[in-house]
Amino acid sequence: MSLLDTRERKRASPTPPPAAAHPGLGRRIRAAKWSYLYLAPMAVLLLAFVVYPIFASFGYTFYRWNGIGAPGNYVGLANFRQILGDSIFWGAVEHTFVYAFVLVPVQLLLALALALVLNNPKLKFALFFRTVYFIPVVTSAAVVGVVIQLMLANFGDSAGSLLAKTGMTNGHIDWLGDPHTALAVIIAIGIWHTLGYNLVYFLAGLQTIPAELYEAAKLDGCGPVQSFFRITIPMLRQVGVVIVVLAFIGSFQVFDLVQVLTGGGPYFATEVVNTYIYHLAFGGSAGAAAQPDIGLASAASFLYGLLLIVFSALQVLALRGISRRRAAADR
Amino acid sequence: MSTLSQRPRPRRQLSLRQGRRGLLYLALLGGGLIWLYPFLWALGSSLKSTDGFFSGGLNPIPSEFHWSNYSEAWTQADFSKFFVNTVLFATGTVIVTLLATSMAGYVLARTDFPGKKIWLGLVGVTLFLPHGYTIIPVFDLIQRLHLLNTLWSVVIVQSAGGMVFGTFLFMGYFTTIDRGLEDAARVDGANFHQIFWRIMLPLSGPMLATVGLFACINAWNSFFIPLVFTLSRPELHTLSVGMFNFIGQNSTAWTLVCAGSVITLLPIVLIFIVLQRFFINGLAGAVKQ
Repeated sequence: MSLLDTRERKRASPTPPPAAAHPGLGRRIRAAKWSYLYLAPMAVLLLAFVVYPIFASFGYTFYRWNGIGAPGNYVGLANFRQILGDSIFWGAVEHTFVYAFVLVPVQLLLALALALVLNNPKLKFALFFRTVYFIPVVTSAAVVGVVIQLMLANFGDSAGSLLAKTGMTNGHIDWLGDPHTALAVIIAIGIWHTLGYNLVYFLAGLQTIPAELYEAAKLDGCGPVQSFFRITIPMLRQVGVVIVVLAFIGSFQVFDLVQVLTGGGPYFATEVVNTYIYHLAFGGSAGAAAQPDIGLASAASFLYGLLLIVFSALQVLALRGISRRRAAADR
Repeated sequence: MSTLSQRPRPRRQLSLRQGRRGLLYLALLGGGLIWLYPFLWALGSSLKSTDGFFSGGLNPIPSEFHWSNYSEAWTQADFSKFFVNTVLFATGTVIVTLLATSMAGYVLARTDFPGKKIWLGLVGVTLFLPHGYTIIPVFDLIQRLHLLNTLWSVVIVQSAGGMVFGTFLFMGYFTTIDRGLEDAARVDGANFHQIFWRIMLPLSGPMLATVGLFACINAWNSFFIPLVFTLSRPELHTLSVGMFNFIGQNSTAWTLVCAGSVITLLPIVLIFIVLQRFFINGLAGAVKQ
């Protein structure tokens, strides 16, 4: 987001609108009628299916409602109180943050290293390797869930029995059924599943760095390590900010993978916020509600939305602070 | 003497570099094998016999090849119908997404109008909000539009979900195109529509491929949206939904489940491989700004 803001500002500042032309708002709106018309399909879809539902759900937070018929049982702030007092909700928040804060750094480091290797123009079969590492992204979480579950099941020479043979463990491991390992396994699968996105983003970013910079650095006697820290990292900063923000957004919304692998279990050990909300809204394993309750689910998502907005604001402020300090240091 | 002693040195350096490069390729291949292992395993398991599946464990190589698993999965689980539905769903989503995001991206990048910054801010904020739970009001809206249990509802809801990212990509791409092109066209008498449809859109081929591919992948893999909006019409199910029903009905036919996974995967992987050379170029164009 911060990138967009600065881009907007940069573009606006060198060409200020001519002071003489200051037509009224009505005329400016009429002059831009085709712009509005072109924006309309996107605007209508977004307003109807993304923005309106967010506000509509806020209305549901005050009702005890199972989703059938019209909401009628007004309960005030009781839903919020119940969610805030539910340890499973806070556990889900914790798991989501653990997921994001382990997955994002590990995955970004892996993706950057891989992108640096694959970006080398002398590397043969770069396209082949790029495809290989991107393919999990193309795969639905549903298929991933089924296949990984079958692989981890203890049929024949499974991963568990192989480890047992090497003497690392004593026998049967129920990777996804053990509360101590389930979240770690899901994080590992998450890293595998979405690495390709960040690989491609980093590759795209690397391709925007002019090759002359590296040639000039080489002439000046820079080694590969030095040119990495002096050229690659600073030139990737802007793209990097977007990649980090997108990676966190994606991780905070994790749902499919957890739902198909464990459904939030065992004993809520892998319950993330979105599976918690889903279970509240449509029934299932969440302890807070045996019956589906849209009101509770909406309250939980509203609170989580607030949490994410606060976190995003902090993230944007921090990144802005860093880039401003760097910019000052460069000068 | 001196020339003789110096001669072997370049050769040794070369072989050292070659060795290092060989190691690099080996590491890339090894990593790639780990990365693709689940797919190889699913492919192998889809050809195993039921007994072979249970005794085979993590070994992906079947002892005998049961090609009939595919024809069985295809007919028994109605995969042919799901396949057609998924193709229609993905195609519709790609068309709606490309039209809406390219037009919006163009006007947001190249024209100025009152309310533009407010709109951009709102669009940005929606990126951060959790959407999953909003399915209830969306369901309500679709019901009131009398679109429930149609493929249209799935296309529309799916397209709406991918709108923001695609718009940002097009916006970034259009800002990189030289403004002189538009000015020249305008001097030649081209109007707003001609500039967009005849000049800007044809120029945005890589971005059309990128956004289209994203939309196609997401639609193909979408599970929740088609499940919710075609719940009571099994003949409208997509592959991912159909596969899940199949698991519920045949919880022991794991070889068929693996065959179903491969049937679901293969087309989208092929589309990706065909279109992927545009993909990175498109993204690079968008982030260049």
